[in-house]
Amino acid sequence: MSLVPGLGLVKGMALTLRRIFEPKVTVRYPEVRLDVPHKFRGRLQLLYDEWGTLKCETCFQCAQACPIECIDMGGIDTRGRYHVHWGAPETYGERREESAMRRSGRPVPDPAYRPFEPIAMGEVDRILEEYDHDPARMLHILEATQDAYGYLPVAALKRISHATGAWYAMIYGTASYYAHLRFEPATASEQAAAVADHRPAEGEYLSALGAALEGGGRPGAPARA
Amino acid sequence: MTVIGRSWNRLTLPGKIVFTVVPLLLLLTVAAIALILLFGQLVVDILVANLPIVRFVVAATAVLLMTIPTAFLVGYMELKGIALMNLRIGPDRVGPFGSLISVVHGLKMLMKEDFTPTGADGLVFTWAPVVVYLASVMTLLVIPFGPGLYGADFNIGLLYFFAVGGLSVVGLLMAGWSSYNKYSLLGGLRAAAQVVSYEIPLTLSVVGLLLLAGTMSLNTLVEHQAGWFTDWYIFQQPLGALIFFIAATAEANRTPFDLTEADSEIVAGYATEYSGMRFGFFYFAEFVNVFIISALMVVLFLGGWNAPFPWPWPIELSLDPASFNIGLLLIIGLAPVVLTLLFGAPFYLLRSSIKWWHALIAGFVLANLFIITLLGIWAYIGLDWVAGLIWFLLKTYVFVFILVWMRGTLPRVRVDQLMDFAWKWLLPASLVNLFVTAGAIVVVKELGR
Repeated sequence: MSLVPGLGLVKGMALTLRRIFEPKVTVRYPEVRLDVPHKFRGRLQLLYDEWGTLKCETCFQCAQACPIECIDMGGIDTRGRYHVHWGAPETYGERREESAMRRSGRPVPDPAYRPFEPIAMGEVDRILEEYDHDPARMLHILEATQDAYGYLPVAALKRISHATGAWYAMIYGTASYYAHLRFEPATASEQAAAVADHRPAEGEYLSALGAALEGGGRPGAPARA
Repeated sequence: MTVIGRSWNRLTLPGKIVFTVVPLLLLLTVAAIALILLFGQLVVDILVANLPIVRFVVAATAVLLMTIPTAFLVGYMELKGIALMNLRIGPDRVGPFGSLISVVHGLKMLMKEDFTPTGADGLVFTWAPVVVYLASVMTLLVIPFGPGLYGADFNIGLLYFFAVGGLSVVGLLMAGWSSYNKYSLLGGLRAAAQVVSYEIPLTLSVVGLLLLAGTMSLNTLVEHQAGWFTDWYIFQQPLGALIFFIAATAEANRTPFDLTEADSEIVAGYATEYSGMRFGFFYFAEFVNVFIISALMVVLFLGGWNAPFPWPWPIELSLDPASFNIGLLLIIGLAPVVLTLLFGAPFYLLRSSIKWWHALIAGFVLANLFIITLLGIWAYIGLDWVAGLIWFLLKTYVFVFILVWMRGTLPRVRVDQLMDFAWKWLLPASLVNLFVTAGAIVVVKELGR
């Protein structure tokens, strides 16, 4: 309550009267178009194709292009095998539901998610210790890990990401770039090619085994009738 | 059944009315013209002999027709004014600065489905907007727009105004009751409660004025206020004017007392079930009401059609158009052409890039403005009622703007605050005003004796 009754009324009326002569905020859209900042990306939205499948291929281009690094995404890689993730290191091990829950308090089911198989972590920890947790020497770390386990298990990649601070998607990118690094145990045929030079008998055996198993002899490959 | 019969059955009730009334009116017009042509003198004699009736019919028609541009203008002012206060642009698509938006609104209303809910009382439902609208329009009959420019000069003009204006409550209740919808009924009851409550301070606030003036005729009231603006009743009745303005705002369901149809909170109050032109009439009546309360405010307290000060240098126009004889025809024929060329020439000569017909259009517009201004000045000086009408409309639209301004500014009151304000503040204040005025009149009389 002001000292003079009705003063607030007068003030309010004066304010609206002044507003009449102030510049207007409306933009006559089709005729006038505002300058949009070149980093403006509009409203980001995941699209579905005509079969109802998510069109996202988990290429991380959106996350990579995001100028303020606000995109934090995870998904299944293009061959439907691995749960990959782009975002802050503390969210790596998180399943999508958990991540969504953490951010919004609303669970979002992720039926495509398959947990990766556990491995013994001693070897990868030793390798990381040896390379001083240095993300700059990532290729050496990955090669050593592959030597130790025979391939690059997802659990090991996640541990490397946690320990070095490199983003998982970067490590995944590095590992998928080099031909000699692989994410599955080597097939019998591949092993045969590797040992053919110095152990011909074992090479012959392995290539025969691979041919017999079909599909290159990869563990878990669909057996044909 | 014939084709005509089938088509007739397909028409709605308003359609049937329009398709009978319009040809009938056309027929009557043709008959009237034929009668005047055939028995010219006789018809004129009859009309002169029945001047009051003729006057009433003409006034009623004029008032009915007048509501259309009035409502359009008030509606446009409302949209545009509030938009500007909200830092928006408001209507700007139809017509210059969007000024034809009300016309488009009206067309939209006409084209919408005219819907009657199941279970509604059809007759009452149809007549409710008519009652509300007519209650507004009939009050316009007694308002003096200028010297001699009024529908009827009753000696009980003000009483008539309040009596007929109060009829709108009946319309609101009819609308609420007949809609077969409990929310409509509640809205109607709320509207009725509000209007009835504010009727009392509204009426009491002008009683002091009536004591001062000693008449209820609005025309005489205005004549009493002639002269300088200090003679206006607002300076003798400031409290009365304030109470009248507040109560009239509530009476017309305007912000901050518009909770019967608070468009941002409830659906539409008593008009919930209305659509099409029947809703349009409620809408229309609201805008006309805004004009009417502004007009009454001006008539009662702000001198009506009187200029705020008498023109100090009287001008005599001794221009007799008949003295030009055949020259008048020449002037009427030639003046527009000459003026168009005259006003267009500078554009063409000074800007070499302009096309000749662009220059001609500019010249035409300017010439028209010039002629209209000249004619306006001539009418203002020469004709009393034009000057009066201009002043009256000017003052009235200032008040219309104030009402729009209030709507753009003030928040809505609660329903209990609304009633509290009417009964605890306005009613005692208007009584105080009445008693003080009466006492002052007695004292002045005693002193003067």
